[in-house]
Amino acid sequence: MIEIRDAGKRYGNLVAVDHVNLKITKGEKIVIIGPSGSGKTTLLRMINFLETMDSGRILLEGTDVGYGRDKKGRPVLDRPEVICKLRSEIGMVFQHFHLFPHMTALENVMEGPLTVKKKSRKDAKAISMDLLGKVGLLDKKDVYPAFLSGGQKQRVAIARALAMSPKIMLFDEPTSALDPELVGEVFNTIKDLAEEGMTMIIVTHQMGFAKELGDRVIFMDNGYFIFEGRPKEVFSNRMDNPRVKAFLAKVL
Amino acid sequence: MEVRRSVSVLLCTLAFFSLFLTSLASAAEPDTYEVLALATRYMHDGNLDKALELFQKIPPPGKGEDGGVFVRARMEASKIYFIRKEYADSARMCDEILAIFPDNLEAGNILSQVRAAQTPNWLRFLKDMKTYLPTLLKASGMTLVLVLVTMLVSPIIGLFIALGRISRAGELSSVFWFYIWIFRGTPLLLQLFFIYYGLPQLGLTLKPFTAAILGLGLNYSAYLAEIIRGAIESIDAGQMESAKAIGMTYWQAMRRIIVPQTYKRLVPPVGNEFIALIKDTALVSTIAMVELMRAADQIFNATFNIFILIQAALIYLLMTSIFTISFRKLEDRLGVYEAR
Repeated sequence: MIEIRDAGKRYGNLVAVDHVNLKITKGEKIVIIGPSGSGKTTLLRMINFLETMDSGRILLEGTDVGYGRDKKGRPVLDRPEVICKLRSEIGMVFQHFHLFPHMTALENVMEGPLTVKKKSRKDAKAISMDLLGKVGLLDKKDVYPAFLSGGQKQRVAIARALAMSPKIMLFDEPTSALDPELVGEVFNTIKDLAEEGMTMIIVTHQMGFAKELGDRVIFMDNGYFIFEGRPKEVFSNRMDNPRVKAFLAKVL
Repeated sequence: MEVRRSVSVLLCTLAFFSLFLTSLASAAEPDTYEVLALATRYMHDGNLDKALELFQKIPPPGKGEDGGVFVRARMEASKIYFIRKEYADSARMCDEILAIFPDNLEAGNILSQVRAAQTPNWLRFLKDMKTYLPTLLKASGMTLVLVLVTMLVSPIIGLFIALGRISRAGELSSVFWFYIWIFRGTPLLLQLFFIYYGLPQLGLTLKPFTAAILGLGLNYSAYLAEIIRGAIESIDAGQMESAKAIGMTYWQAMRRIIVPQTYKRLVPPVGNEFIALIKDTALVSTIAMVELMRAADQIFNATFNIFILIQAALIYLLMTSIFTISFRKLEDRLGVYEAR
């Protein structure tokens, strides 16, 4: 469904993403793990154009999207309208939620359908109430984010992303900013979503995601994929990659 | 026969005698004109006591007689008493005139001056304050109009400039930078002079009101633009990202997500600016606008009554206080979504 070919990104001398190839099929759940600064988040942000690539291509259903080429063949980000259209089909959930603080939970979820999809208030509300119910926060619909717990905020953020009916969901460390006792509720919400067949990429330090949800686990370090495989392989005793082993020893 | 003769002789004698007595009496009483002239001479020589005595000797006119001399005499006496600050006597002189000639304007005038002089300063000042309060309040109306129009116009222009500065639209941004540089970097008074007295030389003559609004508006837009720019830039960058992530364009994100979050943060600094604005409107008094400061200045020059200035100060304080309280309330209301 989405394919990244030869993606590269550098900040000055620092190589964040180093010629990465990734192909995601519909319904697939990919979990990316790895130490901080390994380029996981940058790669994720590239997929919805919050970071621009220095080199490489993004293909959606087999066609190049999001970038034109300059004379030297380097990628140049497409017109804003095109990028916005693409983003509207890709849901993203951030580590720090980034809910709109001046809007209630319901208004946060409604905002996309209302402003981007230009749906009527009635329709937007119906969709949003449905999604808030799904993440179990219908009773908090009129509450402002400041009065919600971290876990509740993240569930509203998930509902907000789902309100755009995205083809794929990107989770950028969705539980890293949560108190340990609140991780469960967000984990379960994402798990429910996975069981419904949503295509998703999860960048995380929470190995539970890799073990329970991942169809494929990618270990990333220094900007490229060091290991790629099924969860069973990663967490088995036969794992022989020393860097993966060292990392897992620390986090497990 | 003898008796009748003696009676008639007696009558004649009596008549003659009475005639003699009458003429004698009129000769003993000097001519009023002469008394007036004499008294006036004493007055000019500086012998005020003697002058006063003589002036008051001139009697009120009898029925059908001309009262000119009497009025002159009492008037002069009243003035002398007035100069000596013997207000009761001065007033008594006027009263004597007015008792006979109630319509006498000059006596009436002096009497009111005497009364004014008799009242203590603070009482007179209080009376002035009461007299001129409507004038000051009317002028405050103009001050309020200037403030409200500027308050309405400058945030809109300011927001427009702030967005232009942030969006890095190359040439636009440098134009706005220049604008802010000029209007924040020079005195408002100079800007007002330039617009009202300077522009006519370039062929553009503006009415005082238009010039005042233009000057205040341009100046305050520049200040507000920088405040608004700061507020927008203070919003967490994650907000723009999450807005973009659900597919919003830059301007949709600005309008729906970023700018609305600045409102609460804007209230304290913008409130400050508006309070400064209330006071800065006093500057337009220099370009022929009659507002509170100008009115107070005019009345003060006419009365030298310090209380007029205090009164104007109190009206300014009232306006700034109302604004301060309103902005406080507004800030609370705009902050409903924040945890306390």
